[in-house]
Amino acid sequence: MVTLLFDGLTQFDPDGRLAPALADRWTVERNGLRYVFHLRPNVRFHDGTPLRPEAVRQTFLRVLSPSTKGGRAWPLYPIVGAEDYAAGRASDVRGMQPLGDSAVAFDLTEPLAIFAKFLAMPVASIVAAPPPSDTPEHPVGTGPWRFVAWRHDDYLLFSKNPAYWGGAPAADTLGVRILPEPLTRAAEFEAGRLSVLEVPFGETARWRERHPELLVEKPALRVVYVALNNRRGPLKDARVRRAINYGVNVPEILATVYGRRGIAARGAIPPGLPGSDTTRTRYGYDPEEAERLLAEAGYRHGFDAQLWRAGSNVELSRVAQAIQAQLERVGVRVELVERDASSQREAARKGQADMVLLDWWADYPDADNFLYPLFYSGSFGPGGNYAFYSDPVTDSLILLARRTADEATRIALYRQIDERVYRAAPWLYLWFPTDLWARRPDLSGWDMPVIFNGQRWTTVRRGAPTP
Amino acid sequence: MRPVERLLMTAPTLFGVLIAAFLLLNVAPGDPVMAMVGERADSATIARLRAELHLDDPLPAQFGHYVWGVLRGDLGRSYITQRPIARDLAERFPKTVELALAAMTLAAGCGITLGLVSAVRPGGAVDRLAMLVSYIGVSFPVYWVALLLILVFAVALRWLPPSGSGGLAYLLMPALTLGMRSIAFLARMTRSAMLEVLASDFIRTARAKGLAERVVVLRHGFRNALIPVITVLGLDTGNYLTGSILTETIFGWPGLGRYVLAAIEKRDLPAIQGSILFMSLVFVVVNFVTDLLYAQADPRIAYD
Repeated sequence: MVTLLFDGLTQFDPDGRLAPALADRWTVERNGLRYVFHLRPNVRFHDGTPLRPEAVRQTFLRVLSPSTKGGRAWPLYPIVGAEDYAAGRASDVRGMQPLGDSAVAFDLTEPLAIFAKFLAMPVASIVAAPPPSDTPEHPVGTGPWRFVAWRHDDYLLFSKNPAYWGGAPAADTLGVRILPEPLTRAAEFEAGRLSVLEVPFGETARWRERHPELLVEKPALRVVYVALNNRRGPLKDARVRRAINYGVNVPEILATVYGRRGIAARGAIPPGLPGSDTTRTRYGYDPEEAERLLAEAGYRHGFDAQLWRAGSNVELSRVAQAIQAQLERVGVRVELVERDASSQREAARKGQADMVLLDWWADYPDADNFLYPLFYSGSFGPGGNYAFYSDPVTDSLILLARRTADEATRIALYRQIDERVYRAAPWLYLWFPTDLWARRPDLSGWDMPVIFNGQRWTTVRRGAPTP
Repeated sequence: MRPVERLLMTAPTLFGVLIAAFLLLNVAPGDPVMAMVGERADSATIARLRAELHLDDPLPAQFGHYVWGVLRGDLGRSYITQRPIARDLAERFPKTVELALAAMTLAAGCGITLGLVSAVRPGGAVDRLAMLVSYIGVSFPVYWVALLLILVFAVALRWLPPSGSGGLAYLLMPALTLGMRSIAFLARMTRSAMLEVLASDFIRTARAKGLAERVVVLRHGFRNALIPVITVLGLDTGNYLTGSILTETIFGWPGLGRYVLAAIEKRDLPAIQGSILFMSLVFVVVNFVTDLLYAQADPRIAYD
């Protein structure tokens, strides 16, 4: 929703590429330590206030402020002084300076090649300064859509912003329905009252058969995996972790319990992102090799382990059962622990679970988002490294990649890191899911976004497309 | 007991609910702050939030803090949306009332009629048909009936909108789904109560003095059969007014049931506690009103 009403300094297109937004260009200075964003001229907020650099500064201060109970300000932490301000140790963020009337500069604590992508995240959306007191109820942004109404648990209504800097949206209004029950959503679509629908998981087969012409399918920037706690019991041994990868028939589980909605993983970086290697040799299903490795590691008679999963996700529950059955055959006796999502996450964060079945979504479309949070040793637990994987070489390579400005070098590094981690097998690698959407035939100008904030609905219209 | 005393008696009940709701959620596993900040928060932020929300205080202190808020009509703010919970509840309650009233009207209208018609000629064709309908109503799961209704009336026939809230068209399917069990139950209840009453001496007397059958059944019979019917209606009203999680979720109806479910899923502790408290209050009030209605229907029951 944030993406409809607000703009960041940068944005993502439906394919996940970085594009200019409120900043029409930016420069990187001092070897990546300083970013200068030049604001697009003549941009106004929905209430008519012109956009000035001060609005950017005020917005970021508000996001970082200790009194904001968000806890999601990390994309701004690379800015010098931001963490001190967030912790209440400073009264201002030193590294953030408005330059004249049309630019804003950020000094970073260390070079960060992907900083411009951080600023396309919803948390960095620019709001009018000073923010209206009732922001959450009547949000005022610069985005393509203006806020009209919000009935909680029911719908949101937007009207087009004719003065949008990117050109007024093609449609006059945009409605978002809030429907918790997937089958009801499907019924609303079939009754012709929704233009776009994410096909409910359980309905995949039926829709592929009944409405193939309406479907759009794309690999998502997501990965489904089992974090193997690299610091617990037998799982400390890389041979045991590899054995687990050999002992599970991933393509079979994907086909039988996951509706073929995914691509077997050969690493952690999804195929849609530069740095992904789609030709890497997979572990493959090889129970003999699994048994051999277990024996070599001293577990000839197998061992016991717990696999945690969140009870709310039915599909993943079935996946967990399939994994349990297959590992049993190579001697790993898995006990399933089913909890609500937050208990599961808490156990995983604290490293109290042997194995946790998880699903990781991209915040920003970059390979870094599948390496730094998941495998950097500084991201242990809450940061995303639920496998507690720690390798000094991987750490230094991840940090090096973050500092590397040259795109080709950076991507080569990601490929190298992903390969190195894959061989160490901190996870049981499962698959990259594909998203499946349906759209009405009379809808044009809509492309399925690979990242949640990649679609701004400006070119979407209903009725026959104009040539 | 006088009505006022009975009203006072509800206070300890509500206080008990307060304690139960508070304790239940404190012994439940899982960290609410984790749900609040999502996946990728740093430990410092989490610690700061815990402190701000008094989550590290001793339990009695947390409870005191909570009760003090409740007494001032402050149910706290949602962890997720930061909106005052009292306002959230006030916004959703009317939608739940709307649905509950529709369901009760439907239930009372259809259920009592079915029961009456069956009782007049027990064992007849109408009776057997009505009892079949009520069997179906009691036995079929709400979830299944709701989806079937959507499939038939919204997707196939396109007579009604599948979900959402608005005019009468939006109300029909959820009200029927919600009221279905009551229709069935009321029909059986009315039938058996009527059969019992119609067999009694005073009905024979009424017939003997030559009253029209319509008057015998409705004025003498029905009025005396009302007591159990009111009990059932009262209990169901309490249930409906606290919102139906299943019905509201399936039909995308923005009432209390949806709110509670969302709060539970997101581990929004203050919202869950506030909802439990509010629902208990509604329940207590409805029961109280039902008791008063008894006295109206049957002069033998009096509160003195």
